[in-house]
Amino acid sequence: MNIQQFQEALFAKGREMGYADMEIYYVNGRSTSVKVLKGEIDQYTIVENGGLSFRGVINGKMGYASTEKLEPDVIDFLLEEARSNADILESEEQDELFVGSESYPKQPAYASTLVDTAPEILIEAALEMERTALAADPRIVMARHCSVSVRENEVLIVNTKGLHCHRHKSLATAYVYVIAADHGETVTGGWHDYSLRSVEEIDIADVAHKAVQEAVSKLGAHTIQSDNYPVIFRHDAAAQLLAAYTSVFSAESVDKGFSRLAGKLGQKVASEHITLIDDPLMENVPAGSTFDAEGSATRRNEIIKAGELRTYFHNRKTARKAGVQSTSHASKGSYNGKIGVSYHNLYVAPGTCTLEEMIRKTDRGLMIVELQGLHAGTNTASGNFSLACLGYWIEQGQVVRAVNQITVSGNFFDVLQQVEEVGNDLRFTGSCTSPSLKLAALSISGS
Amino acid sequence: MIHPTQIQDMLQAALETGGDFAEVFVEDRTNGQLGMTGGVVDTALSGRDFGIGIRIMKEHFSVYAYTSDMSEQSLIRLAKSAAKAIRGGGAPGTHTITLHPHAIPNQHPIAIIPDGSQKRAKIDMMRRAHEAASQYDPSITQTSVGISNSIQNVLIANSNGLLVEDTRTYTRMRISAIATDGEHRQSGFRGPGAYAGTEFLENLNIEGNARHAARIASTMVKAGYAPSGRLPVVIENGFGGVLFHEACGHGLESTAVAHGTSVFANKIGQQVASPLVTAIDDGTIPNAWGSLNIDDEGAPTQRNVLIENGILKGYLVDRMGSRQMGVPATGSGRRQSYKFAPASRMNNTFIANGESTREEIIANTEYGIYAKSLGGGSVNTSTSEFNFAVEEAYMIRNGKIAEPVKGATLIGKGIETLQNIDMVGNNLDHGQGMCGSVSGSLPVNCGQPTIRVSEMTVGGRKGE
Repeated sequence: MNIQQFQEALFAKGREMGYADMEIYYVNGRSTSVKVLKGEIDQYTIVENGGLSFRGVINGKMGYASTEKLEPDVIDFLLEEARSNADILESEEQDELFVGSESYPKQPAYASTLVDTAPEILIEAALEMERTALAADPRIVMARHCSVSVRENEVLIVNTKGLHCHRHKSLATAYVYVIAADHGETVTGGWHDYSLRSVEEIDIADVAHKAVQEAVSKLGAHTIQSDNYPVIFRHDAAAQLLAAYTSVFSAESVDKGFSRLAGKLGQKVASEHITLIDDPLMENVPAGSTFDAEGSATRRNEIIKAGELRTYFHNRKTARKAGVQSTSHASKGSYNGKIGVSYHNLYVAPGTCTLEEMIRKTDRGLMIVELQGLHAGTNTASGNFSLACLGYWIEQGQVVRAVNQITVSGNFFDVLQQVEEVGNDLRFTGSCTSPSLKLAALSISGS
Repeated sequence: MIHPTQIQDMLQAALETGGDFAEVFVEDRTNGQLGMTGGVVDTALSGRDFGIGIRIMKEHFSVYAYTSDMSEQSLIRLAKSAAKAIRGGGAPGTHTITLHPHAIPNQHPIAIIPDGSQKRAKIDMMRRAHEAASQYDPSITQTSVGISNSIQNVLIANSNGLLVEDTRTYTRMRISAIATDGEHRQSGFRGPGAYAGTEFLENLNIEGNARHAARIASTMVKAGYAPSGRLPVVIENGFGGVLFHEACGHGLESTAVAHGTSVFANKIGQQVASPLVTAIDDGTIPNAWGSLNIDDEGAPTQRNVLIENGILKGYLVDRMGSRQMGVPATGSGRRQSYKFAPASRMNNTFIANGESTREEIIANTEYGIYAKSLGGGSVNTSTSEFNFAVEEAYMIRNGKIAEPVKGATLIGKGIETLQNIDMVGNNLDHGQGMCGSVSGSLPVNCGQPTIRVSEMTVGGRKGE
């Protein structure tokens, strides 16, 4: 069955069963990726996959169910399960379906030629990336992971109130992760880049060289003495840290007592150097989007402006409860989840300082380039973190050597307050990004 | 789920371009998830995942393709487009595949198969957890409780004629408690689970687990920060086994070992751990969270001795690893779903019992950290640098457990840490976790008796 036939049959049967309003959220994707190892294709993966989430109002409550199979025999499963799920919900605040925004922004994000890239082009790009990396430095012993992929993705939301939202996106990515070894020491480093238009647009050689630079510069690492040091979170580590704590900006977390930002609207929650923006309408970024998971047209939102908390992330339900407008932050973690709250293209607004200047202005301190174990070492309730990390020791304004076997600990909310300097090196690579950030002191554990 | 002749046709089409092995993985999975925040049911989800993956191998190269479109034309088209990626020719179309269905003995009896009719009873259980956690201590200000279950039906067939089917039933309860003390907040978590049906919940000490989560949160909210630096660390039994999982387990997977990139590569027969350490990965423990009758390549799971008295004995090997390394597979090919090609993964990994008692281990420690409940961690298998978070920790002073401390993260390098294990307890227990890696997120047990590591880097905050 195609999606339209399925949706019509589902809604028709749902009406018979007594559903007042119904909605489908359908995701479909295609991708091809090639991974090479030692000059040979190691893995080649082809994907064609979709899934559908149904939600509907029955007896005054909203029930959810989902499926990856779009055949007539799952229609009863969806409707029965959604009904029994609706039946047991106790939450007073009900979701409701949306008729749609008055108008939607346009965003070119799909290149039909991208997904039809000939397999030979993907293979050759991956092989070239591996060759370049291996040739770039004699200490590179292997490209542990070297892949190029193309994918497309469509989202369709249709409901009985008249909503009809559709988007189609495409993306090519190149990723390489290398191992370098010298005098019995082994280190790793990776880099990646993307294009929304074509594989050829990605500078494969540049990705390879950057990965090699990342790896070899970590050679010669050892630990440092436990102490408090000035710390620069390089852009990638800063983005990792921010991404681990984004739920504290969710109105749902605030409402349920999980976020320390409850009651802080209009207050200064960060240093004046911090402006945090979610801009789904930016062009040519991987995380652009013109509507959210409820079908609300998206817009640019300033979450923090010069240190002051301006808004939380709201969907329609949290907005109604708080008596404000939705910020179009309705999300679905996966097509089969319920409606939640999340960001689209979140970033810390760049400053004017280059990373080199930040280093130059550091007398004795640490630049952190990679944080590890964030899923376990961060606590969103308290804001506390204690994380294994890798970086470089700085003395008299210069990087002296690599550092490993250390942890950094602190508190995210304190970090926000203590940012002294914001870099100009913002680079959009995912849905949450940051330029480099410099802090006066953080606790480092080592020897 | 799908007719055997259709699978035979797919496998035949897959080998048309010279592949030497083809495998089909069909999955039909039903998921249920209930959630309660602060005693109010706010999540009730049901889902049906359904799809098919096909893998073709030629020597050390593999192609993987998957779809949830199960129409006959689509399946053959998928097999053919995957076959096109096989390069270098070969002897196309000479294979005649005959599938031989065989029944596998079920080692994991399920008493109560999860279904929609149990939703009310499960809500009552979640409410019991909420009540027990929220009444534990006045500092507990919020709770979050969930029950999830899934029934995964799989069919695995390959060009060697294998055709097997199996059903995996999982049930898990998650309990989080948040304690607040002015500006400070801390959370505590328990997540018991099993390869079992709803009987697992009926036999579970729900209140005990809820109080455990609440105890972690309320103790830690009042705790000061852990000290920094190199210290002896006593790690409690049960989920403390995540230390071995990260420090060593991932490095023993053929995915890491086959290309020589793991620090454990080429070390069979060598001393890689203290002689007190015997470590095992066992996929056959009845109804354990990480157990399976057959792995996701259709091979029976085994009990694999990885380290015996400190000597490296074996690796965890999947079918591709077996080709690359020239050793037999160990029943360790696993994947989250049809959306992933299988890879070598752990099942139930644990350190075997030693001879000390917990009391002896603590009494023998002058000064150090007692890591009572661990969170998760991660490892870079190329460098063997690992980390994991301690959810609940205490200082040990003069051989006695002293004040609680928060924010302790433990880091180290695999072999060095295993060599530094200087006491092993006699109280083996297992905890449940989800392990994320190349073939997705999988249920695994991590187990151990209480152990002591003579020296580890503890990442607290400076200045005790």
